[in-house]
Amino acid sequence: MSGKQYLKNQLPVICLNLFGMLALALFLLASGNNIQSVLFIAFVWLFTVICYLTAAFFLRKRRLDKLLRMTEQLEERYLIAEIMEVPERADEQVFYRVMKMADKSMLEKIGEIQRERKEYKEYIEQWVHEAKTPITAMKLLCENAHIDVAHSDIHRSDFTRNMLTELEHMNRYTEQALYYARSEHTEKDYSIREIALADVIHDAIADNKYMLRQNHVKILIDTMESNVYTDDKWLRFILDQLISNAVKYRTEQPAIHFFTTEKVEEKQEHKGDRLFLGIEDNGIGISPADLPRIFEKGFTGENGRIIQSSTGIGLYLCKRLCDKLGIGLSASSEGKGTTIWLSFQINDFIAEVQGE
Amino acid sequence: MKFKILIVEDDPVIQTQLKNLLAGNGYEAETITDFQNVMEQVRSFAPHLLLLDIKLPGNNGFMICSQIRAVSDMPIIFVTSSNTDMDELNSIMLGGDAFMTKPYNTAILLAKIDALLKRVYGAGQKEILTWNGATLHLESGFIEHDGRKAELTKNEMKILYYLFRHAGEICSRNDIIDFLWDSQLYIDDNALSVNMTRIREKLAGIGLTDFIQTKHRQGYKLKN
Repeated sequence: MSGKQYLKNQLPVICLNLFGMLALALFLLASGNNIQSVLFIAFVWLFTVICYLTAAFFLRKRRLDKLLRMTEQLEERYLIAEIMEVPERADEQVFYRVMKMADKSMLEKIGEIQRERKEYKEYIEQWVHEAKTPITAMKLLCENAHIDVAHSDIHRSDFTRNMLTELEHMNRYTEQALYYARSEHTEKDYSIREIALADVIHDAIADNKYMLRQNHVKILIDTMESNVYTDDKWLRFILDQLISNAVKYRTEQPAIHFFTTEKVEEKQEHKGDRLFLGIEDNGIGISPADLPRIFEKGFTGENGRIIQSSTGIGLYLCKRLCDKLGIGLSASSEGKGTTIWLSFQINDFIAEVQGE
Repeated sequence: MKFKILIVEDDPVIQTQLKNLLAGNGYEAETITDFQNVMEQVRSFAPHLLLLDIKLPGNNGFMICSQIRAVSDMPIIFVTSSNTDMDELNSIMLGGDAFMTKPYNTAILLAKIDALLKRVYGAGQKEILTWNGATLHLESGFIEHDGRKAELTKNEMKILYYLFRHAGEICSRNDIIDFLWDSQLYIDDNALSVNMTRIREKLAGIGLTDFIQTKHRQGYKLKN
């Protein structure tokens, strides 16, 4: 509240006082008072008015500034009406009531949207679980058919192989919907425990076995005995996405290499308290201009123009899940091939979790 | 003796297919048809292991699990499509031995079943396979013929294991590679050829020439 504006608002009061002063002066002069006493009276009047206006201004300013500060510090600002003092002035009380009413309808709206989102998330989860029953049935049908006919009819075996590859895609897409719904929610849907990194990698490869086999992808896994603290299902989903990316953006004779290291050249600031899992492919790589933006939602970049099925969701989702799990996620690409780095905290993570 | 496995699952296609899969892998499998008194059927079939879904008509899987745990220690594998943390936690708390989410990898499921049965009931049969005078020792990793032995690498072992399991049948290269991938050995077509050549050399060394026959465009077959 600036002084100038306050004065402007008080203009009627000031005018009224000046008019009253003028009328009184004229009356006093007409009734034969000398000019000195008239001036004296006018001066006292003026002084009183100025004192009153100044005092009122500072008092109000202090109160309103306090209210403003309180609102700014509040995390959910729309709740200010709930904690502010009830004003005493009649007009302020009206505004207070307006604010209360606005607040209430806002809270109702937020509650409704939250409820709707929760219901939608539950529906997606339920839908995914239901969709998995037919996927499982189809997968079993294919695998059993494959056992039956393996030695009599090779062409049909090719057919089931293609079916199984497609089923893997289907499963990955349904999982993506599930984890998207989960990542949107603030609730904790994961549990951290000690898991062997190698086991999760083998599981993720098993999830994509037919796709990898169909595309003749060479898999190389360095021996790793490291255990990390994370959620195995989430990590498996992240690896699924990364493997499918490596296959999607492949070149001739594709290969994926999994390895761990304690140090990465350009990331020396972490001094041995992190374990890096590198997933290296020899695919088409990512151009340096695109590299900083690959984890953005909906970003497809140059590669998206070459490969039609780019959605810009996979890596975005990986990033979000990694952030929640406390895993570092970064990518490096030099012309050809891409390496995705997952970094796990190994030393102080347990203490951090227990300290929470 | 065949191990008996009971499948508690409400989807009819999965029921039959699981049954076929388990029967094809040397188990005696039975499915539950009446979900109103599951316990009765469990008692009458007396399985060695239970595959249990969580979402079922009537009592859910957790309740069935705790009912069984009250009377028996048989291994229970939860197979379900809901993979929330709560479900997994519940299944462990109620005494489930393993938790698998749909769609499960059949190789992993079979490996889990095998491992659980071995742990609870001890090794069923000796890990030895024989065909046409040759003996494959799985645990110690060598093949024996006429008193002569040849050491095998992990890859070679698994390839021979697959051929012995399907002795007399033609095994396609693709199927062999599939099996190796299920055993976490990620070899490709070329590597399979290299391994095959090496196996043949080793077999020739112990007097088994032409033990593995090549069927053009079809695969390999153990000599009858």
